[in-house]
Amino acid sequence: MLFFRSEERVREWCRAQGYPMRPLVRMDQLWGLAEAWYATRLEPTSRRPQPSEMREIFAGLGLSSVFWDPQSDTFD
Amino acid sequence: MDFDLQVKLAVYHHFAATGGRPSLDQIAEQVAADAGAVLEAYRRLRAQRVLVLEGDGASIRMAPPFSGVATQHRVETGGVAYFANCAWDALGIPAALRMPATVHSRCEQSLEPLRLEVTAAGPGSSDWLFHCVVPAARWWDDIVFT
Repeated sequence: MLFFRSEERVREWCRAQGYPMRPLVRMDQLWGLAEAWYATRLEPTSRRPQPSEMREIFAGLGLSSVFWDPQSDTFD
Repeated sequence: MDFDLQVKLAVYHHFAATGGRPSLDQIAEQVAADAGAVLEAYRRLRAQRVLVLEGDGASIRMAPPFSGVATQHRVETGGVAYFANCAWDALGIPAALRMPATVHSRCEQSLEPLRLEVTAAGPGSSDWLFHCVVPAARWWDDIVFT
């Protein structure tokens, strides 16, 4: 889970490392993920999102491809 | 309060206050228990994906979003410096602390430095991108690599 300056830098890195290009996430979407996962992490009632909740969070941020499905086995 | 929850909160609040990981003895003292009981709690919290432990089973590698070891993702806020496990967690630290912060990281390909100011409303306008090669269903197969 890494930062990149641009889509072209992601493409270069994936090519060099032999990894497939995955969906790109904007900074505002990443903030949405960070808040969803961690905003209550220091509180006693905090818990990690369950798979159905993860799907809702991802979809709400426009991240709806099978790559984001926490229970998919068809992502390759 | 449930013992595992006491241990979890003690670990997280230590990270939040100091930026670094607590020792086993510090957590044992904090929760008024012996080290063996804390180790058992660590194992259960690892199984719940709350903590990631080093090979010794006693040192905390990750209490997401906090990292117990130095990484390329550094976050500064309130006069404390933190390390994050990954780009996601770099924004997770200001989200968890609910404090404005400065995130320092880099482009993994060009190594260009990233400096991102984060407020309660999130990061300022930025055209940097986040990319993860591991699909969500496989993140915890090897969370350190992810």
